[in-house]
Amino acid sequence: MALWIQISSGSGEPIYVQVAQQISEAIAKSELASGDKLPAVRKLASELVINPNTVARAYTRLEQAGLVTTKTGSGTYVSDPKLRKSDAADINILTERMDTLITRGLNLGLREQDLITMFKDRLAKFVNRQTERKND
Amino acid sequence: MLLAAIIFLAIGGFSLRAQAYFVQSNWLSWGLSPGSVVEPYRLTHYSPLAITGIWLVITSIGLGLALGVRHFLIPLFTRTWPFLLHRSASRQMILGAKLTAATIAFVVSLGSVWIGLYWYACRSELFMVPPPVRVFIEGWLFIVLGLVVYLGTAMTALSKARWYTTKILGLAFAMVVICMIFLQWRLSWALAMVIIGVVVLLSQIIDTFLNREF
Amino acid sequence: MTETVLQTQALTKYYGSTLAVDHLNLKIPQGCICGFVGRNGAGKTTAIKLMLGLLKPTAGSSRLLGCDSQQLLPAIRQRIGYVTEGHRLFRWMSINELQKFQRAFFPKQWDDKFFADMIEYFNLPKKRKIKHLSNGERAQVSLALALAPNPELLIMDDPTLGLDAAIRRQFLEGMIELIMRQGRTVLFSSHILGDVERVSDRIVVIDKGVLRANCSLEEFRAAVKKVILSFTDSPPADVDIEGLLHCRRSEKELELILVGPADEQITQWAKKSGAQNHQIVKMNLEDQFIEFTAPPNHRRLFQWEEK
Repeated sequence: MALWIQISSGSGEPIYVQVAQQISEAIAKSELASGDKLPAVRKLASELVINPNTVARAYTRLEQAGLVTTKTGSGTYVSDPKLRKSDAADINILTERMDTLITRGLNLGLREQDLITMFKDRLAKFVNRQTERKND
Repeated sequence: MLLAAIIFLAIGGFSLRAQAYFVQSNWLSWGLSPGSVVEPYRLTHYSPLAITGIWLVITSIGLGLALGVRHFLIPLFTRTWPFLLHRSASRQMILGAKLTAATIAFVVSLGSVWIGLYWYACRSELFMVPPPVRVFIEGWLFIVLGLVVYLGTAMTALSKARWYTTKILGLAFAMVVICMIFLQWRLSWALAMVIIGVVVLLSQIIDTFLNREF
Repeated sequence: MTETVLQTQALTKYYGSTLAVDHLNLKIPQGCICGFVGRNGAGKTTAIKLMLGLLKPTAGSSRLLGCDSQQLLPAIRQRIGYVTEGHRLFRWMSINELQKFQRAFFPKQWDDKFFADMIEYFNLPKKRKIKHLSNGERAQVSLALALAPNPELLIMDDPTLGLDAAIRRQFLEGMIELIMRQGRTVLFSSHILGDVERVSDRIVVIDKGVLRANCSLEEFRAAVKKVILSFTDSPPADVDIEGLLHCRRSEKELELILVGPADEQITQWAKKSGAQNHQIVKMNLEDQFIEFTAPPNHRRLFQWEEK
């Protein structure tokens, strides 16, 4: 599971942010479904060759975002989407991200309608994958 | 633990020992072969063994120099002092191990050969008169002289003085001891000089080594 | 948990009249991997040698595992691992001999199997003499020798200097492996900030012998910021923002390196100073380090000028 996490140590983003982001992406893409267990902190640290405290910090960040829950003595699990809370700050970050994408698209010469279609296409792919997984 | 240290620190000495042994035995045959010995024997009234004694002095000094360089100068050049000093042994023990290893190296390589030679010379029918005990003691004196050179070399290697003239003080002191012994040759005088040399250098080395920065 | 394993008090070292380490007050808690960074000649090696009692301080003192560095008892030294700069090992010994030698001095916790496994993993011939090994192989032996006694405190002086990426990664793995054991602490100096970022959770920065930072890596990452402000006119003459480290000005722009202030504080100040807009740039650790240790008023070695 850990192998798809890529650490780039020269990046502007701290490593714990990189780990948290990639796990949350995997959750969004349904590569990790609710109830899946995340690797133990020490295991992930050893596999990625990063400090265990960094992994713990990433997990805490995911927990704060409501994406995972930690059961004491058992491990960290991907939480039920219904129970996930989203606060204003998260949505703020999301809109900022969208801004960068829109800017890039417009700079490439795409029209408003193109962007909307693209967005819908990508969204459909995500939803498809989620239903596929449920049918498994 | 100490034993392990001694064994390993003496590894450098082994090759030298072997060499010394080999060369010694060559000298043995050379020094004691009738043809070459007859002349000096008649000229000096000394036992032929005394001729071998000259070679013993040279080997002993050579061994002292080589061991001194091996034990104290090479770690400086290869920068292994920090590695050696950080372990569960005090500096006293590490220095003690080196000095013990050197002493053993001298006794085993030169001392044993000298004993063997003396024994051979006493028994052999080559000689009319067995060599006096005095010659035997002189041999040991020469071996200790090598130890003085070893200590002098060690002192020079450990010295942190910035000037070369002060740096080579240890070695110079050893040389002075040698010169004084040979300039005024009397056994009691020589013995006293060698003991003084060992004591002075040893105290200097212990003091320097325990307080030195590496 | 927060026991201090390494502490220095106003540790100072002069070489003749050259000041190498200047009143170093350092505290390293148990259980962290601490990256010790500083530019060449900043005094890292001197500081490490002072801590290990190989050098004598001109003033001040230091303690390792509660024992004064100048009188480190053999029993204490046994619990400390030290990897010397350049991995200097006895050249005339074979790997096997070196293992026996080292084991004799760290008998309590020495793990023979661990050592043998590492040597086998590195594919090193046990009977080969150290002088016949390459730099990388020697470093691998040195790493195995340092980890096999399972030290409570491991101090490594620039262990990855001049090593290839694969061997460097092995050192990082070794540190992670050690730190996973209960109560182990690692202090390592390095010039490769990527490595430091990867494995450390604490960073110590020294510059010209002076301690500049000793905090968690995240704190350091969050504290050092670059802000670019653009103005319609020439930027204000005096910049009175808190935590200002460097200020570079061009015709209509101001580039600030700040240590400490929160983003909101920066935004407030930017508004107050009349900047048209401002941008807080996320720097990587290497850039942060370069800016953090740069002398005041420093400029680029080569500055591009438009003709």
